[in-house]
Amino acid sequence: MEENEIVSKVISCVADALGQDEEDVKLESVLSRDLEAESIDYLDITFQLEKSFGIKIEKDDLFPTKIFQDERYVSDGVVTSDGLAYLKEKMPYADVASFESDPKVIKVPELFTVGLLVNYVKTKVAA
Amino acid sequence: MRYILIDRFLELSKGVRARAVKCVTNGEPFLRELETYPPALVLEALLQTGGVLARTGAPEGTMSVLGKVNRAEFPHSARAGDRIELSVDAVQVRPDGTMCQGRASVGETVVGEAEFMIVFLPSELAPPPDPERAQRREQLMRALKMPSLEEA
Repeated sequence: MEENEIVSKVISCVADALGQDEEDVKLESVLSRDLEAESIDYLDITFQLEKSFGIKIEKDDLFPTKIFQDERYVSDGVVTSDGLAYLKEKMPYADVASFESDPKVIKVPELFTVGLLVNYVKTKVAA
Repeated sequence: MRYILIDRFLELSKGVRARAVKCVTNGEPFLRELETYPPALVLEALLQTGGVLARTGAPEGTMSVLGKVNRAEFPHSARAGDRIELSVDAVQVRPDGTMCQGRASVGETVVGEAEFMIVFLPSELAPPPDPERAQRREQLMRALKMPSLEEA
């Protein structure tokens, strides 16, 4: 599948799930901050991506937020070096490097952009 | 479910499909001031049917809640005397939720269509068990002639 097609379908999925106009959904848009996604919307986006691309997304695979409640990976509101290593391994499709400079847990939602979804889908459709 | 809007289940296929019936009567409080059955209650009846359906495919240790109504349309109205048939399919089933598509019809006339998401949350988030409520639910299941969820 061509990258343009993936981008277009991901934007359509996100716009549908969040009730946004497609022109307002950019690759750099942060789901929570820019598109007002709430926790329930992440599951809706997962449903939409599965349906649109015919892929299977395991629970907590695309949005592995539970690790941020794990004290092995988080200390005093900051993701530890072990946590960062785990993130890189678990989310190779995320821009963990830019997060690494200030790895506060409250900044985790910034990781989840439309571009991250595109990268994730690319790994799934290529598999 | 505080207001039960299902009179009977006709079919309950685990994690696949449910069909139920809601008979609209003139004795219902909603119809004392309205000529037609409120679309919001048609939707609620579909959600209740879908909620029971989703529960049959839910993992243990979870509770089911309505996550979102993605789409709802009400092309025609139901009135007192109508028998609304509620048909809900689980179109996508995941360990963390189920996407449902439902249709409410009176004969051949569609009075409501909706797509909605039932989400499974950890049971720890539920309020403490209430034996009285559990007993009421069992009585209700029997009254609806519905198999218990364990049997479905």
